Amino acid sequence: MRFIGIRLARGLLTLWFAVTVTFFLVRLLPGDPVLAVADPNMTEELRQKLLADFGLDQPLGVQYLNYLGQLLQGNLGMSFRQSVPVTTVLMERLPWTLILTISAMVVTIALGIPLGVLAATRAKGWMDRVIQLTGVTAQSLFVPSVGIFLMYVLGVWLGWFPIGGAVDLDATGFAATLSMLHHLVLPCLSLVLIQLGGYVLTMRTTLIDALGEDYVSLAKAKGVKPGKVVWKHALRNALLPTTTIAGLQLGTLVGGAVLTETIYAYPGIGRAVFEAVGQLDFPVLQGAFVLLAAAVVVANLLTDVAYGILDPRVRTS
Amino acid sequence: MTTVELTPRQRTWSAFRRNPLGVGSGAVLLLLSLIAVLAPLLAPFPEGYGSDTSQPPSATHWFGTDDIGQDVFAQVVWGTRVSMAVGLSASVLAIVIGLLIGVSAAYFRRLDTPLGVLVDLSLSLPMLPLMILVAALAGPSVRTLVVVIALFSWPEVARVVRSQALAIVPMPFVSAAKVVGGSSWWIVRKHLLPGVVPVVGVSVVLTTSRAVLAEAGLSFLGLGDPNSWSWGTILHKAQQSGSLASAWWTTLFPSAAILLLVLSTTLLSVAYNDARNHRSDA
Repeated sequence: MRFIGIRLARGLLTLWFAVTVTFFLVRLLPGDPVLAVADPNMTEELRQKLLADFGLDQPLGVQYLNYLGQLLQGNLGMSFRQSVPVTTVLMERLPWTLILTISAMVVTIALGIPLGVLAATRAKGWMDRVIQLTGVTAQSLFVPSVGIFLMYVLGVWLGWFPIGGAVDLDATGFAATLSMLHHLVLPCLSLVLIQLGGYVLTMRTTLIDALGEDYVSLAKAKGVKPGKVVWKHALRNALLPTTTIAGLQLGTLVGGAVLTETIYAYPGIGRAVFEAVGQLDFPVLQGAFVLLAAAVVVANLLTDVAYGILDPRVRTS
Repeated sequence: MTTVELTPRQRTWSAFRRNPLGVGSGAVLLLLSLIAVLAPLLAPFPEGYGSDTSQPPSATHWFGTDDIGQDVFAQVVWGTRVSMAVGLSASVLAIVIGLLIGVSAAYFRRLDTPLGVLVDLSLSLPMLPLMILVAALAGPSVRTLVVVIALFSWPEVARVVRSQALAIVPMPFVSAAKVVGGSSWWIVRKHLLPGVVPVVGVSVVLTTSRAVLAEAGLSFLGLGDPNSWSWGTILHKAQQSGSLASAWWTTLFPSAAILLLVLSTTLLSVAYNDARNHRSDA
């Protein structure tokens, strides 16, 4: 339990840091900080209420405390465009981003582990070289370029998948679920392609290290089958550093989701960010960052705790 | 038989020259830099409206034209200039900040914990949404892009520099420098900085490619400089005009340019690292 407490404290610290950085950056920049929560064209009444809520007429210290207080109550300001609370706008979008990122993560892991094993067990062979070179290339890809390419080939040219939106609005019941999955394929695949390279390369390096350990030689010496040595003995220990890297990559995954959703008009937080950029809707941009940062913190926390339960070494370190 | 004693630098260079991937990447980077410098000689600045709209690639328009009749080749050539300039300036700025913070963290022990926590926290946050917020508030311009990208790219550099500098601080010559009364600044400048430079060499290359990707991402979302062309801006305009799904040439060529730059910087740094490490087994 002490272990969970420490991880929780670290998560809260990260979140506090994200919020504080946002608060001060917005106020250090030239321009009106009021813009971050209220539109100059809003009705005077609404504007005054927001100014009072966030205490924007008060000294910086008081403003900061007010800001934290409002965040704790889930108040992220008002969207300029719709004059609806930012929280409402973003919460509508959050499920789509979660579906997209979680499915991309699952597919990446499902493909990354066998590819990593393949490269590591044939280290220095031609298969390994191909996987390594492809991995390095994949890491150099620009997310929108991948998205546009897949959209063009699989969506427009071959016509296999829809190229925009998240679901057919006419569909109901099971058909709706199918349509949702159908729309998910291209955006998900784009994210998988950019994530996979880093994942496989890390997996490969850590697995090669693990395969050189004494317990692997022992297992081989006592006659355990080669496949079992890799999958049951070495892989389990190689997974830990890989998971840590996957945790660190969550920030990149979220950035990738913003760009991918923009390409495919996928109605998640990323698309909301893109729309907010076009309309200079600062409260939505600020709220989206805070919410995405919170999502990353929670995901890291869950991974850490799950790993702590599975691997006792993590709890003590 | 005579053996010629090579300096470490010469040995690295000769190992590097034998690696075709490294040499090829270097050549590609050189070519892109030439295009960036010579842009005005290669194509006129793309502006205004042209009569040939949405034309596929042809002899007159090598990369085709966009929906308002501008030449995509000219856009990519001028885009090379801004994309590389922003990437390089942002990366230099990020490396200066990263060097200062990384070396300070390694040398001044009391600063290590707070700076380490700062770097860890920054690295675990989604940077793109934060860059978007700051760039949108500051208003789109080349200067904004450089500062914003640098501001959020230094933690990676600082982490690498710190770990390298930590290995140098306990060395006897650093203690000796202290004993003879050297000031902290003098020790950092004369002993620590030269020691971390080889690592920073690789870092410059990788940070530049990340900065180019960040610039392309921000410009793609509409936060680029409205008065100049970058690879991301071309993609943004293609997205806005709806030619994403119809005119493949408006997106293929800028995408290929980004891939070429990022891939060759990555391969170059891999080749450089290999060349440096081979010294030990030679």
